[in-house]
Amino acid sequence: MSLDSTPETVDLESTETTPEPAKVEVDPALQVRFKTQNGKTLLLLPPEPTESTVSPWEEMWEQLKHRLAAGERFWQPQTAIHLMARDRLLDARQLQIIADALTEANLTLKRIYTSRRQTAVAAVTLGYSVEQQNSLSHLTQAAPQPGTTLDDPLYLQSTIRSGMEIRHAGTVIILGDVNPGGSLIAEGDIVVWGRLKGLAHAGAKGNRQCRIMTLHMEPTQLRIADKVARPPEHPPAEYLPEVAYIGEGGIRIAPAQEFARWLTEHQA
Amino acid sequence: MTRVVVLTSGKGGVGKTTCTANLGMALAQQGQRIAVIDADFGLRNLDLLLGLENRIVFTALDVLAGDCRLEQALVKDKRQPNLALLPAAQNRSKEAITPEQMTELVSKLSAAEFDFIFIDCPAGIEGGFRNAIAAAKEAIVVTTPEISAVRDADRVIGLLEANDIKTKRLIINRLKPAMVQEDQMMSVQDVQDILAIPLLGVIPDDERVIVSTNKGEPLVLEKKLSLAGVAFANVARRLLGEKVSFLDLNAPHDDLFSRVRRLFRG
Repeated sequence: MSLDSTPETVDLESTETTPEPAKVEVDPALQVRFKTQNGKTLLLLPPEPTESTVSPWEEMWEQLKHRLAAGERFWQPQTAIHLMARDRLLDARQLQIIADALTEANLTLKRIYTSRRQTAVAAVTLGYSVEQQNSLSHLTQAAPQPGTTLDDPLYLQSTIRSGMEIRHAGTVIILGDVNPGGSLIAEGDIVVWGRLKGLAHAGAKGNRQCRIMTLHMEPTQLRIADKVARPPEHPPAEYLPEVAYIGEGGIRIAPAQEFARWLTEHQA
Repeated sequence: MTRVVVLTSGKGGVGKTTCTANLGMALAQQGQRIAVIDADFGLRNLDLLLGLENRIVFTALDVLAGDCRLEQALVKDKRQPNLALLPAAQNRSKEAITPEQMTELVSKLSAAEFDFIFIDCPAGIEGGFRNAIAAAKEAIVVTTPEISAVRDADRVIGLLEANDIKTKRLIINRLKPAMVQEDQMMSVQDVQDILAIPLLGVIPDDERVIVSTNKGEPLVLEKKLSLAGVAFANVARRLLGEKVSFLDLNAPHDDLFSRVRRLFRG
């Protein structure tokens, strides 16, 4: 049985391809993120703002606070954090604010990696150990080779409120609601264990196999790879857990149970 | 301990200043010493609602510039001596002050042994908003049951979270119970579903608010309180930790017909 012929599959009111094949810029390097690499926990900051990538201090600070609060349950106390400041200019006050926020979350700032002299000087003044990298190594580090595997899934326990945008080069799992005006952009799948009322874009780098799963599918808009869909004009009387995927003719939605059954049959 | 509370909404025109004036006055009536700060530099209104416009001599900017002492700039309310207003400057823009200066003003006021400091936040989420929340420890988010106001309130709650303001409570202003019953307006439950912060009070829509604004007399000063006035007084008591049950706003609209209609709608 093919999923497309599943009778329970809901037709979306309007399914259309974006005018130009979506080359969505997921670049998670533009957001604050935590990453474990070779047993070390890294805190990566977005690069110094340029005209095209505006990410002033306030915005970065809010992202950091949100990521810390949303992952609270998973931190081992006193985990050493390696701050990858890259070419970001940070003064002593800002470094201190970051260190304090980490302390508050029971984490310790261990080492700062930067390619900027000013940041290095500020960090030394505060008594942190610093590793100054030349910007060349930072460049190779910032631009991953095409075709690399996805990042580890990002698991956040938080309400994604209006104006928040979560970008991740992997699968995103949200324990909480995604409110109207909030958006999730993932290179992999999206799972919302809560109500999805905002925008979700799975497979943002073009993977049409990606899916969006939620307990309550009431999105402003769904996107998978280069396909876009709006929810039906008349909302259903009742919301059941559903899965959105690309099927015949665009994005389709199936009840989670049907989808699970299809998956097992398909594999058998 | 002085409680520093910011009243904010994101969207303009939902009733931040009205709530500040009425709650401030209601708390003063409960015997609390309270200072209200107008953080809307360049577009000040709070003085009008409190009827204190013609008594302003110095503003917050004069205090910061060292041109006067804090006590000189504070405008005491004659009707209610527990209430004092720290006015904003009308002839300057929002960039005239920094978050650090706002913090300085608030710590000066805290030293003057007020029980409460209310900060009336300007609309928007730019510099003026950042000034207003800089010194606050608690926030009251004001919204109306409209999709645009709720969307903006949601954004503001996110920003408050990021700025470490942990205590956030909600006032839903200008609710029209009759319209809610007709399913033409978002209900209290609909708003709470999205915003997911504790509810401090629901203020029914009342034309007398306009009259009170024009006269510069907060609703809670009326001898015979209107429903909105009672709602404000209840919010003030809840702020003080009292358990006050929510008003049944449906009562006046609850005739047999609407009950039958509700029954059929389930």
